[in-house]
Amino acid sequence: MTEPRSPIDDAVRAAGAVVGEHAGVTAVTDYGDPEAEIAASRRLGLADLSPLARVGFRGPGAREWLAARGVELPDEPNRARVQPDGSIAIARSWTEALVLGALRGADSVCDRLEAGAADGHRVRAYSLPRFDGMFWFALTGASAVDCLAKLCGVDMRESAFPVGSVAQTSLARLNAVIVRVDLGDMPVFHLLGDSASAEYAWASLLDAMQEFDGRPVGLRALHALAREFE
Amino acid sequence: MMRERLPPPAGSRIDRSRPVRFEFEGRAYTGYAGDTIASALAANGVWCLSRSFKLHRPRGSFGFAGDEAGSLVQLDTEPNVQADARAIEPGMRVHAQNTVGGLEKDWASLLERFERFLPVGFYYKAFHKPRGVWNWWEKIIRRTAGLGRVDQSWTPEYFDKAYAHCDIAVIGGGAAGLAAAAACGAEGLDVLLVEREPELGGWLTYGRMDSDDGVLDDLRRRIQALPSVRVMTSATCTGWFADNWLAVTQGNRLHKIRANAVIACTGGTSQPAVFRNNDLPGIVSAAAVQRLIRHYGVRPGLRAVVLTAGDEGYAAALDLAEHGTDVAAVVDCRPDPPTGPMAAEAEARGHRILPGHTVREARRDPQRLQVGGVLATRVTGRGACAADGETIDCDLLVIAAGVAPAGGLLAQAGAKFRPIGRSAVPRLESLPAHANAAGVVAGAATVEVALAQAEQAGLAAAADLSGSAADASANSARPDADESSATWPVFPHPDGHEFVDLDEDVTVREIEDALAEGYDDIELLKRYSTVGMGPSQGRLSAIATAAVTAAARDTTSAEVGATTNRPPAVPTRFGLFAGRGFQPVRHTPMHGWHVEASAQMMTAGLWMRPAYYGRPDERADAIADEVLTVRRAVGLIDVSTLGGFEIRGPDALEFLERAYTPSFRRLRVGRTRYALLTDEQGVVVDDGVAAKLGPDHYYVTASTSGAEQLYPLLLWYQAQWQLDVDIADVTSAYGAINIAGPRARHVLETLGTDIALSPEACPYLAARTGKLAGVDVRLLRIGFVGELGYEIHPPASQSLGVWEALIDAGREYGIRPFGVEAQRVLRLEKGHVIVTQDTDGLTHPHEVDLGWALGRRKSFFVGKRSIEVLREKGLSRRLVGYAVPDRRATVPDEGHLVVRDGEITGRVTSSAWSPVLDQAIGLAYVAPDQAAVGSAITIKAAGGRLVEAEVARLPFYDPENLRQAM
Repeated sequence: MTEPRSPIDDAVRAAGAVVGEHAGVTAVTDYGDPEAEIAASRRLGLADLSPLARVGFRGPGAREWLAARGVELPDEPNRARVQPDGSIAIARSWTEALVLGALRGADSVCDRLEAGAADGHRVRAYSLPRFDGMFWFALTGASAVDCLAKLCGVDMRESAFPVGSVAQTSLARLNAVIVRVDLGDMPVFHLLGDSASAEYAWASLLDAMQEFDGRPVGLRALHALAREFE
Repeated sequence: MMRERLPPPAGSRIDRSRPVRFEFEGRAYTGYAGDTIASALAANGVWCLSRSFKLHRPRGSFGFAGDEAGSLVQLDTEPNVQADARAIEPGMRVHAQNTVGGLEKDWASLLERFERFLPVGFYYKAFHKPRGVWNWWEKIIRRTAGLGRVDQSWTPEYFDKAYAHCDIAVIGGGAAGLAAAAACGAEGLDVLLVEREPELGGWLTYGRMDSDDGVLDDLRRRIQALPSVRVMTSATCTGWFADNWLAVTQGNRLHKIRANAVIACTGGTSQPAVFRNNDLPGIVSAAAVQRLIRHYGVRPGLRAVVLTAGDEGYAAALDLAEHGTDVAAVVDCRPDPPTGPMAAEAEARGHRILPGHTVREARRDPQRLQVGGVLATRVTGRGACAADGETIDCDLLVIAAGVAPAGGLLAQAGAKFRPIGRSAVPRLESLPAHANAAGVVAGAATVEVALAQAEQAGLAAAADLSGSAADASANSARPDADESSATWPVFPHPDGHEFVDLDEDVTVREIEDALAEGYDDIELLKRYSTVGMGPSQGRLSAIATAAVTAAARDTTSAEVGATTNRPPAVPTRFGLFAGRGFQPVRHTPMHGWHVEASAQMMTAGLWMRPAYYGRPDERADAIADEVLTVRRAVGLIDVSTLGGFEIRGPDALEFLERAYTPSFRRLRVGRTRYALLTDEQGVVVDDGVAAKLGPDHYYVTASTSGAEQLYPLLLWYQAQWQLDVDIADVTSAYGAINIAGPRARHVLETLGTDIALSPEACPYLAARTGKLAGVDVRLLRIGFVGELGYEIHPPASQSLGVWEALIDAGREYGIRPFGVEAQRVLRLEKGHVIVTQDTDGLTHPHEVDLGWALGRRKSFFVGKRSIEVLREKGLSRRLVGYAVPDRRATVPDEGHLVVRDGEITGRVTSSAWSPVLDQAIGLAYVAPDQAAVGSAITIKAAGGRLVEAEVARLPFYDPENLRQAM
């Protein structure tokens, strides 16, 4: 059996990533110094969440079909809503949704939705393979807004882009979905884009992060922060 | 030793505890941290910084504000640095620009003796005959007239860009800008205040106030107390584009600012007066001497003459006298006795004032490259003065001719400036929407007026953004400046050298000559004479040019008009435009594997693909080996770059029927069909394969180069047709591996799959889904290379695993990866067309023998009608296969022409040496009467060699198609 791998697997391993299973997901747990990564996350951290589950649905029946399976989409496009299990439901349009699995633990929502994809097809809720088609990074910390300002033309300050906002825009000239869902008082921007350009996006972000002393962080740091804010 | 330094409080910007050593023209100097290059040199008595653009005359800074060509210097790795704006750094090595043999003894200054041979527009008239001679002259002229040198061994610096957003952008942090920002901030607006200087305050930091009533401190406190006001210092707004998109440079970063409204408080620019030798170093503006004194603690001279047309000159005279400079005379060129508080104070202090006089000419100090004296004479009329007068020795000549509104940015945005009546000075006449102005640029002559304007502008901007009815352009056409500059100080001299434009060495006579030649429109005049085309872009020459033109045409400056302002408003380093460009790259899931396997990567659109595996010096052998491996054993190629679209829904079939040329109505689930796409003109735009995976589910591939454009095209069709279908681009979600060769089936069976692979169970053109190496894959039995082959589409995240498993399983069958180059040869041997390589923007299906792919019974597909019309017209060319019988002949290249009797009848689109056929083969467009198999064609190959070829039957390889159907 061939295990799924992140589209930036080579890049994170070259950067010293420790890849292992953490809370049910095989991903980068840390880069050798989880404590420092917690501090870095508050300042400016970049985590590869690509190994976490996500799935998309589109079609005239998508909203209703997802609602029937307990996914509460926001009432309008370009908004995100955190679900009771910690997953994030994003309305990309009136007829398209993106569901990001919970940060902590193996996901069941996305698996459940994918398992029912054939059923969705019958009611015109067509599944979209976002796990394979899109990278998923999280940019965290106090300098995240200033860092994104170097890559993206959308005003990401909280006054203009509050928690729950979604921008489908250009990130370093790459089509991207940017979602703000903070962890407590720590800004967190979820960044999703073409998985084939994941290495390019990762390198562009790390380059932009340099002046803010940002660094890549593992899931262990994000889980610790998530626990702290619970 | 810095002999000209003044004691504190003079020198607010320098840190006397931190001396900085640097070099200028090979000599060591010392300045202080906070000095600019020019201020540090002035403190050492050095005023000449460069040589002029055309005549190589000695030049220095006039305004000490980073505006002119005269202060451009060369650093070791950077040309055209504004010496009066760039801070000195320890060890900095500064050189004068545009000299031959050094600043002191510039051999090129001999050009001045030949000045009469260099009249206005001389380069339009000379150097063009005999034909071709320009190429010789051009090198000499560029070397002589050049600015700095680019060091091509320079290590690039890091430049980047950033976006910023605000409700209100206030450009300029002087009194008006501070007050406007404070007013907006107090209204709760998100304000961005952009100031070019390193500190806020503008004129308040160096000007002479009637009384120090704490205006600056108060304004700064107000700004600091407002968290919604962000301040950018040392930041220059260089462009004001549509929808208030502002380009602001700061250090090595270009900020791209989006503002809902903009308030321009950009101040004014002190103007030179025009008289003979007005370009000598040591001739500076009144504002410059005040900057030198208050910012840098520099005593600007020992003995000064002030030429003024307003009260500012008297303020400068008072400042100079108070800081140890002997003011020999204040020459006031206004006809009436001076008025104004500074003039009164100067008179009371006993300064010598020469009313109704001007400086007829400045004279150079015979020992130094700077001014040594002036001839002051009585003004006798508009632009005229007596020939005889008083000679006054001085080492500093201060000019207070007047201040022009710095309206370049506003004008970029659409504001109109126009002199009023017979005045020479432009006044703000109208503003564009969501823009306002305050301060000198809006005509304010005093701080009090500027502050009042700024408050009003701030409130108007707030009202504008809130949508209330307040007058948003409150400050347009509200000048309060007096009209003292109505007669601009321009005094032509019989011996010339009265420079209207110091950047470009343009004199009064040259302007007059250009006008006499008929270039009397201001835009034409600019281009013909080059006035206003230097680094200051007319900021210091436009008023004088208009005044000279108005005098020559006996009209007003208002009638003469002004040239167009364009960005960038000030000289800007290329790095800021170019820096940190983003160029997305796409990698397949197997990218790292290819690199590890010594693949030579090539670009295909945004994708990186292996061209071949091996060293570049082994290229030909590597490609041939890869070809032969596929033909004799088995190879695999990463084709993840192919586009992939899911077409799903009740109308999926109808959508395919309309978008693609073939009919899919009889296509069964589990089968594939070639899918050709033409545009409305019948031109071939892409091709791929449509696999039917379910009753209303198709998986359609597209070419690597076409996929990115194809997806929006399909969505555009759907937007028009409104069918009940969903089209999803899943290109990156699936990897794709083409395994091909007579042993391909063995490899898959060895690897293990639940898909029945026998020829009966999985025949040619079958589409299956199932497990391979434990991974859910889509498997299409198709081939591009003419062998038994399978296209395997695993999820992207598991594609590398499948690839590696195939390599392992295929080892015993001699498997090896092959790249794009081998694939091109293989498909050429099989006679397959590559859309965009073998087609162009006019190719229709019948020209490339794809008529079989057209659904003739379909009532409609995009391009159908056009193709029918084109067919009825008859073919004008055809794509054919050819072979070169002579194995020693030159192998033609793609693009080489097919010729007949000296006429071009076609061109080669694909060419290769076939290792299997052991001869050169290719595809070429030929005339229809050359298309029959066996026809002889002639190809004009490299070096003009004619290669004889023969039209061949396609495919070259396996014409019975037995191998791919194995």
